[in-house]
Formats: sequence, structure tokens, C-alpha cells
Amino acid sequence: MTYSITRRGLSRALVLAAGFAALGGGAALAAGEKIAVITPYLSQPGTQFYVEAFEARAKELGWEVNVIDTQGDVAAVISRIEDVVAQGVNGIVINVDPAQIGAGLDAAAAANIPVVGMDAGADPRIKANVTSNGYEMAAVTSVYIANRIGGAGGVVMFTFDAFPPVQVRGVIADAVFKNYPDIKVLDRITPDVSDGGIADSRAKMEALLAANPEPGSIKAVWAAWDQPALGALQAIEAAGRQNEGIVITGIDANPQARDAIAAGGNFEASVAQDFKGIGSTAADTLARVLGGEVLKANVIYVPTQLVTSVNAK
Amino acid sequence: MVRFLRHYGTLMGMAAIIVVFWVLLPDTFMTARNWLNITQQVSMLTVVAVAMTVVMVVGDFDLSVGSMASLAGIVAAVLFTLGFSVPAALAVALGVGLVGGLVNGVLVSVIGILPFVATLATLTMYSGAAFILSGGKTIFGRDIPQAFGDFAKSGLPLGSLGDKPFVLPWLTVLALALTAVIFVVLELSTYGRRLYAIGGNAEAARLAGVRVTFLRLTAYGFTGVGAAVAGLMYAARVASANPTQGEGLMLNAIAAVFLGMTLTRHGQPRVLASVLGVLVLGIMDNGLTQLQVDSYVREVLVGLIILLAVSISALGRKAIGRR
Repeated sequence: MTYSITRRGLSRALVLAAGFAALGGGAALAAGEKIAVITPYLSQPGTQFYVEAFEARAKELGWEVNVIDTQGDVAAVISRIEDVVAQGVNGIVINVDPAQIGAGLDAAAAANIPVVGMDAGADPRIKANVTSNGYEMAAVTSVYIANRIGGAGGVVMFTFDAFPPVQVRGVIADAVFKNYPDIKVLDRITPDVSDGGIADSRAKMEALLAANPEPGSIKAVWAAWDQPALGALQAIEAAGRQNEGIVITGIDANPQARDAIAAGGNFEASVAQDFKGIGSTAADTLARVLGGEVLKANVIYVPTQLVTSVNAK
Repeated sequence: MVRFLRHYGTLMGMAAIIVVFWVLLPDTFMTARNWLNITQQVSMLTVVAVAMTVVMVVGDFDLSVGSMASLAGIVAAVLFTLGFSVPAALAVALGVGLVGGLVNGVLVSVIGILPFVATLATLTMYSGAAFILSGGKTIFGRDIPQAFGDFAKSGLPLGSLGDKPFVLPWLTVLALALTAVIFVVLELSTYGRRLYAIGGNAEAARLAGVRVTFLRLTAYGFTGVGAAVAGLMYAARVASANPTQGEGLMLNAIAAVFLGMTLTRHGQPRVLASVLGVLVLGIMDNGLTQLQVDSYVREVLVGLIILLAVSISALGRKAIGRR
């Protein structure tokens, strides 16, 4: 065991030495900023998209990126931040709630190593959090509904005010619908989400359909995320009222929602976050910080995109 | 030569790992601050591994420690949200750990279910309980008292190093204290000697008047409480509680004890050997992260190290036996 470990160590030392020699020969060592991307969520699709986009942009910038996946272990994120701080990296990128990794952020702050968040949450110790704007996403879908129904008719809202990122979406939709005197919000429903949100939303929607039997009495369903929109769609189809022209919108554009939108039924629109844009913008933001710029805004929004039957697939 | 390798192979391997990291990371690895970081990073695993050592001395093991750690963190966090004081919430969480451990003990020792089956079943039960109590959500933010999270960020001031204060983290202090307690229990008490007797030959121990059933049962109390302590330490470190956050502890703790067993004379589990095993895992994580080795490659390497150590140990024993 002793021999093999030593041998492995030696071979790695040789490889590293050769690497450094090559770098040194090209005098390119200065450009190679060392950046650590530390995430517990690499196996989640969204995270993969933005980490890959970050790596691609970092390559263009000539950075040496080390992606560390702690596989769901948040305490290990703190440990790995401490390790890369000891190693002396130039910058750290995280995508976990800053409230959970305070000890790691303190270590980075003490060593003056900038931290940038990708969809992480705001914190004074993070130079900037790069994410999507929930207010914007809600504005896009609620205005879509207002325009589709000609600014008049009954609208059902599905919201969830207990979860802050979703609460901000509801606030905007409230304001938009209020601005049209002829739009009447029939109900503002908070579905039970313990089963994922589809089943209970469907049950609530079925009750509302029963309470409003006249065709045209419900013009639209605005949902703060995709699951209630899918539940409402099921209820409308089960009640045989899919030909009344009820317009449904969601937010997030998850695969199931995209399928429903592409099918061309009542579920007409959702909004997709630009995960790749979040990744490349995070790299550009870190580059600005490393360049000595003091960022005025500590949250940077990447534009989102409306998804309809035109671009759902 | 074979005997020498068998006794000191793992130790020399550990030394080699440290030397390699020291050479490759001349400025950042062998520093007091980095070593303090490592001790803090492995503090939770240390507590679980030394507690696991107690049941492994008897020849059993406990697969439920990871989910018990999660459950203890969730219990404390839920009580925090209900307005319980920090000491009260921690006491209840530790009580849950003790009861959970003793349940394992009864299943294995009194009812006679294989430890693998019994603790696999309680693993899923404790994990399920954590999900039920938390509703599957992470509990964090204002629900967690400031003092609880601050505990894991502060420590015992030991003076200053350069311009920065030199602090021994409380998590490290706690791990050291619990290691000392388990050391006394296993190495310096008759209780511990009886556990080793059972592990050596349960039938002989029984004939010699050792209360095998009762002692095996109580050994599980240590893993239950140890897992709960580690779960609370984890929750303090991340200032939050999640129903899955202890999952990684179980396999790593068993790995650490096995690594430690390759260090001891008769291949028995020993407390200090388990701590060395934990340190090997922690040092590998720290050093390989600093060397920017891919995190997936790191896992393969850690597994390889365990296999190498255990293989050398097994081959050495075979060679000695043949003579």
C-alpha cells in the first residue's frame, strides 16, 4: 500500500510539474485564475445547465475551473469552501442558500476571496447573486392573459404566498389584473402542495368549475408555477369545458408544462428561466469583480423567455 | 517483513499521503489553520465513527446512524420553531437518539434479528420520521436560534497566530471530548472489556458469566446518542435542518472504523484507530480538493485507499497464519 500510494503521488507530482513547466514556458500562468464552483445540487438538470455554461465562459476567459459536487451534503460545501480558501483560489461560485453556509462565507470573506452566487439568494458576503427575476416572469404571464381575454372577464389565480420566490409572482399578477377594471379575480387559491401541487389544484379547480357553470364565466387561470396550471388543465378537460376558450398560464416551463403547451390546448403559456445565461452571466460577473469593479447591485437578473406553442418544443 | 507491513503498512500509508500533500501543496497544506479546518470538518464523522466502534467491538454494526443524525437535527429544529429553548430542544433530540439506539439494541440482541436487517429497517423508519416531522422541507433562517448556529462558527481562543486569532473550534472540542468518553468506556472500564470479550467469542463470554444480551443491547445506545450528537453538530454547522443531511455519515463511519481496524494488532476496532481512520478520509478530502482533483475521482481514490489498506491487512494475516 505504502509503495503504491507513494508511486501514485509521485506520478501525479510529475504530471503537475510537467504541467507547471508547460504553463511557465508559455508565461501564461498569470492568466490562469483559479475558480472553484461548489454545489450540492449538480445532479439537478437546471444546475447542470448553468454549471456547464459557466465552464464554457470560464474557458474563454482562460480560467482554471474546479467543479466540486458534494452530492446533497451542505456541510461539505462549507468544508470545501474552507479547503479552496486555504488553497488560495481567486474566486468561488456557489448555488446554495447563503444562510446555510455562513461559516464558509465567513472564511472566504476573511481571506478576501470574492463569492458569486448562481440562483443562490442574496447575502452581504456574496458579491452578486445571478438569477431570474420572479417579478418579471409573473408580469409576462399575467399580461399575456390580460391581452388574450381582451382585458375583461373572470380570472382564477393559483398562488403560494408562504414561499417567498413564489409570493413575489402573485404580487405582480394582482397588480396587473387590478389595472383592468373589467377583469374580475374570481378566486385566489393556495393549493396544498404536499402531493406536488397538481392533484389538489385539480380538485380546487373542479369545485370552481362547478360553482361557475355558465360557459365563458371563467376566462382564464393564472398559476404562479406550472403544477397548478397542469391541475387546472386536467379539471377543465375532465369537465368537458376545454372548448370554452379558457386560457391557462404557468411559470417555470417544466417538461410536463412544455408538452401540454405544445399540444395546443388550454394551457397556452409559461416562462422559462435562461439557465445557460445564468451560468455565463455569473462568469462575466465574477470577471468584473476580479477586475476590481465594485458592483452596485448585488442581484443580477438574467432575462427569461415566454414559452408558447410556437417554441415549446 | 510481512508482519512489519501488516502492523505499520496503514500508518506508513497515512504518513505517505500527508507527505505527498505537503510536497504538492507546500504553502497551504501543512499549516495550523488548515489542520484546524480539517479537525472541524471531520468532527461530526469522528463522533459517529467512535460511537460505531462500540457496536463493532461486539461484532455488530449500525446502518441507521445517518438517518438518526438527520432525525435528531429535524427534531431539534422543529422544537425551535415551536419556541422551545435551545437546551430543551437539544435534550429532547438526544433522548430521541438514545431511544432509537436502544430500539436497535432490542431488535438485534433480545429479538435476535441480524444487525444488517434490523438497522436497515430502522434506517428507513428514522428517515421516514424525519420527513414526516419536517414535511420534507429544510428548516432554516429565523427558525434556527442565532446561538445554535454561532456555536459551530466559534471556538476556544488559544491566542493569536500572526494577525488573526487562533481558535480551536467548538465542534473539534466536542469531538475530542466524546472521543475521550468512548475511550474511557471501551479501554479503561470493565464494561468495555466485557464488550471485547463478547466480540472475541460470545459463547465463551456467556459461559464466563457476561450478560451478553444486555450488553449488546446497551452498546446500541452509544451509536444512537452518538448519531444524534453528530446530527445536531451538522445542523449547527449549516444553521439548518434537512431530513436527508446525515445520509453521508453512515458509510464513511463504517469505512473509518474498518480503516482503523487495519492499524490494530488483532484487527480489532479501537477508538483511537477509528479516529485515525476518520482523519485519513478528512485529509484525503481536504488535500485532493486543494489539488483540484475532480470530486468524482476523489471518491474513487478514497474507496481504493480503503481496499488497499484492508487488502494489505488481510494478506498479512494470511501470511502470518501460514507460518
